[in-house]
Amino acid sequence: MRQRRLLRFHGLKRPRVRQTWNKYNLYNLYRMKTPFFNPKTFFQQKWIAKGLARGYHGEHIKEYQWERMFSRRLLSAVNMDPAYMARYDGSEQAAGRGSGLQVAPGTKASDVPRNKGNLDARTPYMQMVFAPMERRLDIAIFRAMFASSARQARQFVLHGAVTVNGKRMRHPSYLLNPGDLFQVDVERVLTATGQPKRPNQGGNKSPSSTPQEDIAEEEESEPSASASPESTSERKPSDAAKEAHRKALLDLKERAKRFMWAKNDALRAKQKKAIRKILRDIKVALSRNTGNQEEFDAAEAELTSLIDNLTLSPAELRAKRDEEQRKKSELDEARLEKHKADPTLLTPTQHKLLAHLAASEAENPHDPSKPYATPWRPRDWMAPFAFIPRYLEVNHRICAAVYLRHPVARPGLAEVPTPFSPILSQLAFTWYLKRR
Amino acid sequence: MPPRLPCSSRRPQLLLNSLEQASASSLAPSAALIPLHRPTATSSSSACPTSSTPRCFSTTPARSETKMRREFKEWLKRNEAMLRRPPGETGSAAKPGGTYLGSDGAYHPFPNNSYFVSQPVLSERAHHWIWYQVMVRGQPLKAVSAQHGVDVRRVAAVVRLMEIEKRWEKENKPMATPYARALKNMLPTADLAPGEGPFEPINDIHVHSYTMQQLFVPTSESRQFTRADAAKAFGEHILPPDARMRIPELVDYERDLAKGVDPKVARDKFVKATAESERALAAKLRAAEKEAEERRIRVQTDRFEFRIEQINSEEVGPKGRARNAVGWRYGVPHMDRRRGEHKIPTSVGM
Repeated sequence: MRQRRLLRFHGLKRPRVRQTWNKYNLYNLYRMKTPFFNPKTFFQQKWIAKGLARGYHGEHIKEYQWERMFSRRLLSAVNMDPAYMARYDGSEQAAGRGSGLQVAPGTKASDVPRNKGNLDARTPYMQMVFAPMERRLDIAIFRAMFASSARQARQFVLHGAVTVNGKRMRHPSYLLNPGDLFQVDVERVLTATGQPKRPNQGGNKSPSSTPQEDIAEEEESEPSASASPESTSERKPSDAAKEAHRKALLDLKERAKRFMWAKNDALRAKQKKAIRKILRDIKVALSRNTGNQEEFDAAEAELTSLIDNLTLSPAELRAKRDEEQRKKSELDEARLEKHKADPTLLTPTQHKLLAHLAASEAENPHDPSKPYATPWRPRDWMAPFAFIPRYLEVNHRICAAVYLRHPVARPGLAEVPTPFSPILSQLAFTWYLKRR
Repeated sequence: MPPRLPCSSRRPQLLLNSLEQASASSLAPSAALIPLHRPTATSSSSACPTSSTPRCFSTTPARSETKMRREFKEWLKRNEAMLRRPPGETGSAAKPGGTYLGSDGAYHPFPNNSYFVSQPVLSERAHHWIWYQVMVRGQPLKAVSAQHGVDVRRVAAVVRLMEIEKRWEKENKPMATPYARALKNMLPTADLAPGEGPFEPINDIHVHSYTMQQLFVPTSESRQFTRADAAKAFGEHILPPDARMRIPELVDYERDLAKGVDPKVARDKFVKATAESERALAAKLRAAEKEAEERRIRVQTDRFEFRIEQINSEEVGPKGRARNAVGWRYGVPHMDRRRGEHKIPTSVGM
């Protein structure tokens, strides 16, 4: 039998809808259709339906755990209209032969006693099969949109980032009681729902040039010794020396490559270019395979200097940055004085706009130390997954939510967020009934 | 499936192709190095460019990406403007207030399940308004609930959450403001403005499973068979809906209106009644707390506070297995001492 972990979580070939905000999942959700059940036996229909449904509803929960949670009692609610309750005692429904009197033709609709406030539709009980799952803490966190998947929500709980009623809760399977207030660490939520940090997306590029860039520029302007492809060695090196030289070159190449790989995120384009040039030179030297020691030394010196410059100590870096900041503030002060001398430079609206920009910057600042791209932006393909079910009341500013009550079915509405059609849900429900 | 050539005609053609290639570029010395049985990638399309083996049956080049993947990418490209970036951001064509997969602008996040609707959430303004009504103006929760059609439990939750938010503001704790603002654009919201209808049903009652069966109760035609009689017919302990209303004061209010009482007077009476009921509930809870405290003896030490309660070990229920019974009982195993059995709390105290 194939292991569960070998199957693709978000596949196109064998699609399963999952509790995530993934774009593959969005596509699978879009093209999902209820399987064609006609040629299947009843057992097969139930088996397929249960498999699909469990792939979405708590696929990280073991089957026996879910079987113990399952309840055949599906909760529903009906709205009772106080105006109707005050005017009628219900006997009009039992009048006559037991099913109410016939309404005379031409009677106004407002004169017919009717309990208002409910949709004129059937109650979709079968969409409530997985209602007990929605009580779980990890799934409630996902539903409150604090995590991008149920598995991530589970990890938040396990890592101690979640409190219930102010106390740390480390059990993802904790079943919330009506009135429980759960709260997730704000930083975790921002990481989970924000754009990921990627070097090429420009999310974290600082507007001003950093000291590292200046170094790279200097590096570029220097005439590189290793670039000269001259091979003017008089003495013929022995084979052993040649082999040692080759080995050293290979080692150097490996070092440069590893450095580039490790620092790929931090390096700037110019620095990358410099390293690539060194690599190219090494390659040329290797292909010629002359035991030219000078060439090797030059390449090594260049690489070492590059690495040294890049790995400035934090204190040095800070000093450089402070100096830059000081220069900038001096410039700003000069500008301010200029403005005082000539007040026509900035209009009040421009001032307001600037103040607004400054406020938004203070609220959502650029901060490279964060694990997500700053300024914070919501992640891609998130909007079509955005909904808050009615059994939760969420305050997104403090990343806290209250589990108000258990989800219920109402006429025409079911509160359990399930992507499946009633037919499929009903088959899954039938599977979990004890005597099948 | 790409068109295939029969095996017999394959080899001569390949040979021909590569020979042609060689003769065409005979000036270049490297062309001579190309083996005759392996056509290069620059040869005509009838040769197999990607395969490195001499036996290649397909005449068309292999696709680098499957059909499924191609369709997926095309779908992404088609829906990028609507679905990728949330409304309000650059490059987004979606309108604020929810864009979902469900067809024709319906609030259905799941196209197959039309019974699940993304219903509006309370906006930040509505949160603040509810908090102001309850905490500043001192309105009873039930009155606020009835005024805007918001569930009482939700009103209480909003006040609770707003209190935390206010505390954080005072403590200058960092909040997820950009995240909240982004979600406001993605979700349908309700402002509780005067023109808007009720936010949600506030007088819903659970459907008891006893009442889900169909009963045939013979009665005389002249009898007034009311809701209370129907409840009794379903079971002795089943309460009629009148006794299960969340805000029964609302029914009295409507009764007053039906009688012709001035709406303003009826409204004042309703607010007074709800305030009184809430006061009574608070007093009841306080009395229960006080009684429990009297049964308890607290002993404060350096490290712990011991709370000692009087327990009657005789109260074990009719079968001797009552859940809250204490002490060792014959035939009842101690479930807490088994290996590998960890206890997940069932409730967390406030």
